[in-house]
Amino acid sequence: MRLIALLILALFIVAGVVVGALNAGPVSYDLAFFQVTMPKGAGVLLALVIGWLLGGLTAWLGMSLRHRRVLRRTRPSNGKTPARA
Amino acid sequence: MSILYVLVLLVPAAFASGWFAARRAAVHRSGMRVSELSSDYFRGLNYLLNEEQDKAIEVFLKLAEYNRDTVETHLALGNLFRRRGEVDRAIRLHQHLVSRPGLSEAMKTVALLELGEDYMRAGLLDRAEALFSDLVAMNAHAPSALRHLVAIYQHERDWHKAIDHARRLEAMTGDDESPMIAQFYCELAEQARQHGARSEARDYLHQAFECQPDCVRAFMLTGRLHAEAGEHAEAVEAYEAAVGADIAFVPEILPPLLNSYARTGQMERAEHFLRDILARYNGISPVLALTKLYNQRDGERAGIEFLTSQLRQRPSVRGLMALIDATMDKIEGEARENFLILRDLTRKLLEGQAMYRCSRCGFGAKAHHWQCPSCKGWSTIRPIHGVANE
Ligand SMILES: [Zn+2]
Repeated sequence: MRLIALLILALFIVAGVVVGALNAGPVSYDLAFFQVTMPKGAGVLLALVIGWLLGGLTAWLGMSLRHRRVLRRTRPSNGKTPARA
Repeated sequence: MSILYVLVLLVPAAFASGWFAARRAAVHRSGMRVSELSSDYFRGLNYLLNEEQDKAIEVFLKLAEYNRDTVETHLALGNLFRRRGEVDRAIRLHQHLVSRPGLSEAMKTVALLELGEDYMRAGLLDRAEALFSDLVAMNAHAPSALRHLVAIYQHERDWHKAIDHARRLEAMTGDDESPMIAQFYCELAEQARQHGARSEARDYLHQAFECQPDCVRAFMLTGRLHAEAGEHAEAVEAYEAAVGADIAFVPEILPPLLNSYARTGQMERAEHFLRDILARYNGISPVLALTKLYNQRDGERAGIEFLTSQLRQRPSVRGLMALIDATMDKIEGEARENFLILRDLTRKLLEGQAMYRCSRCGFGAKAHHWQCPSCKGWSTIRPIHGVANE
C-alpha cells in the first residue's frame, strides 16, 4: 500500500518536472498593487500549495470549533459557575 | 489553453486534499476512533465476564498495542495476568507502566499499587512492603496500601506492626477493625504463653479484651493460662465465659473445661452447665461429655441410656461410635464381629470428614484454625453441624 503511494508520488514528480521543463516560459500576474513574473510551472505549484494549505486550515478550524462546543456541553461545571441550561 | 483554466481545475482539488489530510491527522491525534476502540473494549469485557480470560487477554493485548496511550487497558491487562497466575508478566507490565514518562501522578500511583499486589502474589513480600509503605507515606491510595500492609505483617507474623497499621487503617477509614486487632493480641498472647511468659501473655489478653470484650479466643486463652498455672477454678470461669461469648465454639472449649471441672471436683456444676448448653446447642459434643460424666458417676448403664435417648433426638455418627464403643464389652460371638465391622466403618466415615468450615469462603478443615488459610478471615472457621460432624 505504502509502496504504491510512493510510486504514484514519484510518477507525479517526474511528470511535474517534465511539464515544468516544457513550459519554461515566464508568466506575469498583475495583482493590482504589484506585478509578479515567474515560470509557468512555479505558478501552478504555488497555486496548488496555497490551495492545499487553505483546505487544511479550514478543516482544522471547523473541527476545533466543534470540539470546543462539545467540551463545553459535556463538562458544564468544570469551573465554579454552572453552564446555562 | 491558458494556464488559468488549469488552475481553475487544480486548486479546488488541492483544497479538498488539504481538507482531508487535516481531518485525518486530527482523527489520528485525538483518538476519535473511539467507536472502533470501544467495540474491541466491550468485546474484551464480554470475554472477561464470561470467564474466557484467554480471549480477553488477546483482545486487550491488541488494544494496548493499538493505542499505546490507554493506561486503563494496560492496568486491566496486568490485573488479568495476575489473576491467571502469570505474575511475572503482570510485574513486567506494571513496571513498564510506572517507568513510562508523562504518566499522570494519579495513574502512576494506581500502577504502583497494582505492582505491589503483583509482588505480594509472587511472594516478594519485602518489595511489596517497601512499595506500600511508600504509597502510605505519599498518602496515595493509603487505605488499600494499609490493608495490604496489614496482610503482609499477618503473613510474616509480625503482630506488633500489624496492630499498628490496622489502627492507622481504622483512623483513616473509620471502619471498625477491633475484632481483627483483638485476634492479633491473641496471637501475641499465644506466643508469650508458648515461651512461658505468663504475665506478658495476660497483658496482651487484657489488650485483646479492650478491643473486643466478647473475644472467644481471648477467653479460651485466659482459661488455658489459668489451667497451666494450676488455677482451675479461674480456668472454669474463663471457659464458661467463652461459651457465653460464642456457643459455636463448644467443641473446642469443652475438653479443657471438663478437665478443669474434674480437677476442682465441681461435677455438679459441670452437669448443670452441660445441661444448660444441651438446651441451646444442637451438636453432639455436650451429649458425649454428659455421657462420660454419667458413666463415671452413675455407672455404665445410666450413660448408655442417656446416650441412646439423646441419639434419637440428634442422630450423629460420632454419637453412634461412642455407643458402639460403650456396648462392645457386653457382646459376645458373631454379633461382636458385626459390631467390629460397624465400628471400623464409622471410624472410616469420620476420618474423611472435614470437621470445620469457613463461614466466609467455604474452606473445609479437619482441625480448627483461628485464621482461615484460604481467605485469611479471622474467626470465620466454625464446626460443621451435620450427621457425620458435630
Ligand atoms: Zn475462609
